[in-house]
Amino acid sequence: MVTQDDNKFNKNIILIIAAVIIFIFLPNFISGYYIRIFTAIFMYATISQCINLMSGYMGYLPFGHVMFFGIGAYMSAILMKLGLPVFIAIPMACLSAIIVSIILGFPVLRLRGHYFAIATIGMNGAIMTVVQNATEITGGARGTTFPIIMASPDVVYRYFYLAMLSLMVITSLVMHVVVNSKFGYGIRSIKANEDAANSMGINTTFTKVTTWAIAALFTSIAGGIYGYWMSFIAPDEVFDLMFITNSIIMMLIGGAGTILGPIFGAFIVETVSEVAWSGFMQYHLAALGIATIVIVFFVPRGVIGTITDKIRNRRIELSKKAEVTNG
Amino acid sequence: MADNDIILDVRSISKHFGALKAVDKVSFQARKGEIVGLIGPNGAGKTTITNLVTGELRKTEGEVYFKGINVSRMQPFQIARIGLTRTYQVVKPLQGMTVEENILVGSLFGRSDRQNDLNHAKKTAHEIMELVGLDKKKEFKVSDVTLPDLKRMEFARVLAMDPEVIFLDEVMAGLNPSEVEESMELVKNIRTEKQLTIVYIEHIMKAVMGISDRIIVLHHGQKICEGSPTEVCDNPAVIEAYLGKKYAKEVIKS
Amino acid sequence: MGLQMFVNALLLGGLYALMGIGFSLQWGISGIINLSYGAMVLLGSYLSLIIFNMFHIDPFISMLFTGALLFLLGAFIYRFALQPLLKGGIVFTLIVTFAIRLIVENIILLVWSADYRTIRVSYAGSNFQFLGAFFPLTKFLTFLVAGVIIYLTYQFMTNTKIGKGIQAVALDKEGAMAVGVDDQKMYLINFALGTALGGVTGTLWATIYSFSPHVMDVIIGRVFIIAILGGLGNIWGAAAGGILLAFVETSGAIFVGSHWQEAIGLVIMVLVLLLRPHGLIGKKFFG
Repeated sequence: MVTQDDNKFNKNIILIIAAVIIFIFLPNFISGYYIRIFTAIFMYATISQCINLMSGYMGYLPFGHVMFFGIGAYMSAILMKLGLPVFIAIPMACLSAIIVSIILGFPVLRLRGHYFAIATIGMNGAIMTVVQNATEITGGARGTTFPIIMASPDVVYRYFYLAMLSLMVITSLVMHVVVNSKFGYGIRSIKANEDAANSMGINTTFTKVTTWAIAALFTSIAGGIYGYWMSFIAPDEVFDLMFITNSIIMMLIGGAGTILGPIFGAFIVETVSEVAWSGFMQYHLAALGIATIVIVFFVPRGVIGTITDKIRNRRIELSKKAEVTNG
Repeated sequence: MADNDIILDVRSISKHFGALKAVDKVSFQARKGEIVGLIGPNGAGKTTITNLVTGELRKTEGEVYFKGINVSRMQPFQIARIGLTRTYQVVKPLQGMTVEENILVGSLFGRSDRQNDLNHAKKTAHEIMELVGLDKKKEFKVSDVTLPDLKRMEFARVLAMDPEVIFLDEVMAGLNPSEVEESMELVKNIRTEKQLTIVYIEHIMKAVMGISDRIIVLHHGQKICEGSPTEVCDNPAVIEAYLGKKYAKEVIKS
Repeated sequence: MGLQMFVNALLLGGLYALMGIGFSLQWGISGIINLSYGAMVLLGSYLSLIIFNMFHIDPFISMLFTGALLFLLGAFIYRFALQPLLKGGIVFTLIVTFAIRLIVENIILLVWSADYRTIRVSYAGSNFQFLGAFFPLTKFLTFLVAGVIIYLTYQFMTNTKIGKGIQAVALDKEGAMAVGVDDQKMYLINFALGTALGGVTGTLWATIYSFSPHVMDVIIGRVFIIAILGGLGNIWGAAAGGILLAFVETSGAIFVGSHWQEAIGLVIMVLVLLLRPHGLIGKKFFG
């Protein structure tokens, strides 16, 4: 049994490493258009991974989570305008997002279910309004710019492609380690039954706030890179709830509560909506809406979730059979 | 019995919901290794006492000392970490997880002053699943197992937390007579093996009488009697309030 | 606060109150955060626009029709898109209602484009003076009609068999089912009623303000605040919440600037959530 599991584990690792290597060299073979699409996919997979940690694993749907994306983007822009290099600006932006998540987390994570989701929407709206009105610092409602990178667009796009790819890979690895650790069992117990989790010795408040801070960390880095990539950001763009609704759809399609789910979901949704955009742009929104409803109805556990369910059920069937033949 | 044998000391705790006195100045103690039965008619305040002691409800007044530590103001997880825990009358499985994972969470968390890395916790969980006879169901999701198995799982989960005192809140409700018999044996064996102190809340009289060293009777939120099973059965107040004459006679006959 | 401002806020508040009640009932009683609510309100506006342009029927009359149509649409959505997903929890119902919003938005864009539209009834410009304050006639009429509809909704909820059934499942689902109330039927009627109230609001809205698909997000933002302020599923609570929000916005625009009015509403909402989760005057209905 142990060796079999080990073999499977090794095979999976080899597959993942192979996939990463392919994606590292992929930009040499595709056009700038596709490089941009892939960069967006990696970014969405990262955000979806964070939503998945909060919702898929812990049961708290952070609908206004895009606030950390916006904070990451704006803090990076402000710090870089002050002359800081990007490798200092983004980590500092990320730090500020973590601080905000901890300060907001203690009161707001006391709310459960609907109330938590709505309170985060309210907070996002409030932060967006502050950014819109603090014109001297943020540039106000009309947005702000990043310093321009002195290089050819081709090189720049590849640079952001690789940045988002590494962000996605690192995020996914960290999530994998987190959910399979002792702390991760705490997270999952909170979704399963928060009161029981508390009475079993899990510090639920600490676990929830820390988890939100982890989710804020990666979302804010994605925001920082996104802003630098776009070189121009506006409040109603980087605080747009569409980022979160898209990420939720990706999580559901890929499979909530699985690590590969958000990645697959991001690939599927971005590809579908790209086709919808280019193919029949006028019906693009409706197509997305109908696709979402169809998926929620027919593959509620998502692609990866459905597959792992099948595997588990087969294992149980096999163990039942073995029991029968043994007895 | 020496005073330092007392592991749990409940001092005059009360819980009032508005005008209703769900628990009214109840005091009791439990000694190391003892099984204390907590009985009383529906609404007597048994589960409320459990919630008060484990920190899930805020006490209106009174204090609880566990191993000499005042735990009255602590949160449930803090109390669980020093070794006092409970099962739920209405089972609270961790939904969406397997039986194995449920018990694993117990052994990962629970008491904090022990080795609890993932591998060690898995080993503990497997030992306990074997002990309570759940090893064949470990891969099942909790939604796929029967109520007796869920109750067994909750008991296993609590054991995996390596506690010193357990409140067992009606672990036998809904079981058939042979399962009750089995469950009683299990509780007794585990008590001796693990040196546990158990506060045992149960409706099934036969089980309480057969298992407890000492019984506390509650009625309308107040303690009306305390003593050995036979003493309690002979107490006229208890017979009046709770047991009913028919059962009292049966006990005396046997 | 001047008298005129008070009147303006009150007249706006009547419309907000009606708008908030539909959303609050759906959320508080049927347990669904309806992200397509803004789309339903706008459907009410656009439907009355068609009727006005084609048959020259006044929106104050056609609202009966738009209300009935949206009632049916709401019932349909609940029965076929939401009821099967209730077990999946909040993520599913949120995403499906959002998907419905996308579909409706797409339809509106295709049929009417993103331009702003208006319905100009013949008496649109007229107003009257009372106690020294101006009352624009259409605004006054919407306030009056909204008040009547709110009152009728309250009467329906308290004095009819179905309304009592809805209240019963909202208060104690198991208990209501035990005495023979069909809970899913009650949730369906309640959800459909909420949709109808949204549609009627849209029709009334169209007589005063211009509208476009962009208004959807504005509406959703407002109804969240109103429902939370009033306490979920509470008719008078939502009505009070609507009027309160109108006053906060009107005075906020004057004292701290209209840029901040959105943030003020949201901050109040979050504070109410944290400090008084059952609303400012509401009592607890669920969860």
